[in-house]
Amino acid sequence: MARTNVADVNRSLYDFVMPEVDAERYADGLTPDIVRAISEKKNEPEWMLEKRLKALELYQHMEMPANWGPSIKGLNMDHISTYVAPNTKRTNTWEDVPEDIKNTFERLGIPEAERATLAGVGAQYDSEIVYHNMRESVADQGVVYTTIEDAITDPELEPIVRKYFGTLIPMTEHKFSALHYAVWSGSSFVYVPEGVTLPFPLQSYFRLNAQGAGQFEHTLIIVEKNANLHFIEGCSAPKYNVANLHAGAVEIFVGEGAHMRYSTIENWSKNMFNLNTKRSTVAKDAHMEWVSGSFGSHVSYLYPSTILAGDNSDCEFTGITFAGATQDLDTGCKVTMNGANTNASVNTKSISKDGGINTFRSSVIIGPRAENARASVSCQSLMLDDMSRSDTIPAMDVRCATAQVGHEATIGRISDDTVFYLMSRGCSEAEARTMVVNGFANPISKELPMEYAVEMNNLIKLEMEGAIG
Amino acid sequence: MAETMQLSHINTPPAQTWNYLRVNDIALEVPVPEDHGAAFNRLPRIFDGIECGLGEEARNWIVASVPEARYIEVPAHTKRTDPIVVVATAGENAYSDTGVCIREGAEATVVVAASADPSGNAITAALTRIIVERGATAHIVEVVAHGGANQHLEGLGIDAAKDARIDVRQYFLGGASVAAGMACNLAGDDAAFDLSCRYLVGNGELLDINHIVRARGRNTRENMAVSGMLADGSSKTLRETIDLVHGCKGSQGNEAETVLIAGEHIRNKTLPTILCDEDDVAGNHGATIGAISPEQLAYMSGRGLTEAEAVALFERSIFDDALIHAPEPISTAAIALRAEAVLGNEISNDSLEALDIVFFKEV
Repeated sequence: MARTNVADVNRSLYDFVMPEVDAERYADGLTPDIVRAISEKKNEPEWMLEKRLKALELYQHMEMPANWGPSIKGLNMDHISTYVAPNTKRTNTWEDVPEDIKNTFERLGIPEAERATLAGVGAQYDSEIVYHNMRESVADQGVVYTTIEDAITDPELEPIVRKYFGTLIPMTEHKFSALHYAVWSGSSFVYVPEGVTLPFPLQSYFRLNAQGAGQFEHTLIIVEKNANLHFIEGCSAPKYNVANLHAGAVEIFVGEGAHMRYSTIENWSKNMFNLNTKRSTVAKDAHMEWVSGSFGSHVSYLYPSTILAGDNSDCEFTGITFAGATQDLDTGCKVTMNGANTNASVNTKSISKDGGINTFRSSVIIGPRAENARASVSCQSLMLDDMSRSDTIPAMDVRCATAQVGHEATIGRISDDTVFYLMSRGCSEAEARTMVVNGFANPISKELPMEYAVEMNNLIKLEMEGAIG
Repeated sequence: MAETMQLSHINTPPAQTWNYLRVNDIALEVPVPEDHGAAFNRLPRIFDGIECGLGEEARNWIVASVPEARYIEVPAHTKRTDPIVVVATAGENAYSDTGVCIREGAEATVVVAASADPSGNAITAALTRIIVERGATAHIVEVVAHGGANQHLEGLGIDAAKDARIDVRQYFLGGASVAAGMACNLAGDDAAFDLSCRYLVGNGELLDINHIVRARGRNTRENMAVSGMLADGSSKTLRETIDLVHGCKGSQGNEAETVLIAGEHIRNKTLPTILCDEDDVAGNHGATIGAISPEQLAYMSGRGLTEAEAVALFERSIFDDALIHAPEPISTAAIALRAEAVLGNEISNDSLEALDIVFFKEV
C-alpha cells in the first residue's frame, strides 16, 4: 500500500543554545523562600506576595487528574529552576540588548518582523522581558503595552492590574495554574482604550534558553469598548535532555463591541512540558478569535477558553496540531456560552506521524440563559502512519431549550481514491499526496499572519516522498 | 427499608475528560445485595471477560444481586425462532444476569424487557452478555419502559468473532433514573455492528447512556445512530466511543446523534469520542442538538400542525418504532403500557390498531 512519508520538522532554526552567561538562577525546586525571593526581586506590593504564597500552598496540595490527559512523568519540580534571569535590564532600545540575546531574537526574525508589520514587540528571555517597544503613534492613542511588573508599580495602572489580574483564571483552576501564580515572572500587559483600533498587531515572543528551567509568563489584555486588537504570541526553545516547563497564563477581557484576535504558534522543543492556560471573557456584541498552531513540546495541555458572557457575542477557534515522534499533545478549546444569541465556531485539524499522539479535547457549555445560542464544532484528524494515534474527545453540555449545536468529527488517512483522482489529472503520486496534506492544513495556515504561516509551513515541511512500502 | 450502597462510577467511558463537566460517570444509590449463599449460580467464566459498558462496579453489583444466573446456548448452524427473553420487573424478577452463546453460524434474537408499576419506586437491573461466534447473527432488542420513581440499570456486553453480525435496537422510554451501558468487542475480522438507540426522557427523568464499540478485527463495520427527545425538566447524558484498536485495518466506524429539545430546564450532555490507533481506518461522528426551528414550525403550521402536535408526533414515532420492532409479547406489553401513560389512551390505542398489534392489558 502506498505510504505518505513526511519529513521531520526541521528544528535547526530553533535548536541553537546560547550559554547562560552571568544569569541569575534560583535553586531548583519550589519553596516559600524562592517565592519570596521572586516577589522581592520584582519589588512587588504585599498583596501580590500574599497571592503567590497562597498559590504555592494550593499547588502543594493539588493533584493532577488521574483519569484523563497525557502523563507528565518525567517532569520533576525538584529539578526545575523557576527563575532564571539574564544579566540585563529591560530596555526599549534594540541596541541595548546584550549581544547573545540580540542574536537569538534576530535569528528568530523578531526585530525584522517588528520593523515590517508590528505595532509593538515584547521579547522575553527565560524569566524576564528583555526588550519592549511600541510605535509612538500607537502609544499616542493611549494604548499601553508594557509588563505587569512595570504596570504594578505605576500608580495609574496598578488599580487596573489589581482589578483584573488572576480573576479570569483562578489559581484553583488546576495544579499548574496554582504553580503559575506562585512563581509567575515575565509578562505582557496590554490596555487598549475605548474605540481604538490598532493598525498592526502587537507581538510577544517567549524564548526559554536555560536548561532545566521553567517559564511562567503572565499575559493580561484588556480591550475596552469598541476597540480592536490583534495580539501575536510566539514561543520556542532549544532542545535539552532534561525536562523544561512552560506554565504561562493568558487572561483577556474583551469589552462591549470590541474585537480581539489572539494568534499563537507554539513551537517549544520536544523536552518541554507545556501546561499553559488561556482564557477570555467576551462582553455584549464583542468578538473573540483564537488562532492556534501547536507543533512543539513533549507533552501539551492547551485549551484556550472563551466565556461568551454578553448577548450577541461570538467566538471562533481555529487550530492545528502536529504531533511527531515522542510528542503527546492534548489540545483543543473550551467555550462557555452564557449570553443570548451568542455564536461559537470551532474548527480544528490535527496531523499525527511517527508515533505522535494527538488528542483533540473540547467542551461547549450552553447555559440556561443563552437563548438562541448557536455552536458548531468540527475536528478533522489525519493519520500519516500506523504507529501514531489520534483521539477526539469533544464534550457538549446544553442547558438551554432554544440552543442549536452541531458537531462533526472525522479521523482517517489520505484516501486512495483522492490520490488516484489527482494522478488521473497528471499529478505524480508524491505531488498528489503533498497536495492533499497541504490542502488539509491550508484553511488554518491562511488564518495566521503571513510570517507565521511561513513559519508553520517551515515547521511542517511537508516533503512528500511518496514511497511505496 | 433495605440497606443501600452507592455505585460511584457507573458508565465510565474508555477516554475521560474534565471532571468538572460531570460527564465521566454517574453515581446511583442501590440496595446492598442479599447474600444468596450459593456458589453455583454464576455464569461460565468466559463471560467474566466481556465488557458491558456499565463498568465493573455495577456489573459486580448486578451479579451479586441476582439469585441465579441464566445461561443459554444456541447450537451451531441453527436459527432459533423463539426470542430469548430477559425480563427485569419490579418484584421477584428485579435483577437478571444472562449469558448467551450463539454458536458458529447460528442466529438468535435476544430481548431484554424492563418495566415496573409507575406508582412504585423499585430498582431493576438486567445484565446480558452475549458471545457471537464466527459467522453467527444476533438480533438484540432492549426495552426499558419504566415510569414514576422507578430506576433501572441496563448492561449489555457483546463479544463478536469473525463475520459475526449484530444489530441492536434500544428503546429507553422512561424511568426516574436509567443507566444503560453497552459494549461491543468486534474481535473478529469483518464483524459488523449496527445500533439504533431511541429514547424519550420525560419530566424529571434522567437517562445516562454509555456506548462503547471496540474494533479489533480487520474490516469491521460499526454504525451507531442515536436519536431522542427531551421533555421539560429532563436530563440525558450520552457517551459514545468508537475505539479503533491497533490492528483493525480497513475498519470504519460512524456515530450519529440527533436530539430534539422539547421543553424548558433540560440538560443534555454528549461525549462522542473516537479513539484511533490505526491509520487505514475511518471514524466519523456527527451530532445535531436543538429544538424545532422557527422555519420548521412555520412549515408545520402551514400544514395545520401546532408545535404541541408536532412534538406529540415525535413522541408517538418513538413508541411506534418500538412497537414495530418488539418481537414478542412481553416487550410489546411493556411498550404499550408506557405509551398509554405518556401519550394517553386514545393515541396509544390508535397506534396499536394502526400497527395491527393485539394487546391485552393485564387486569
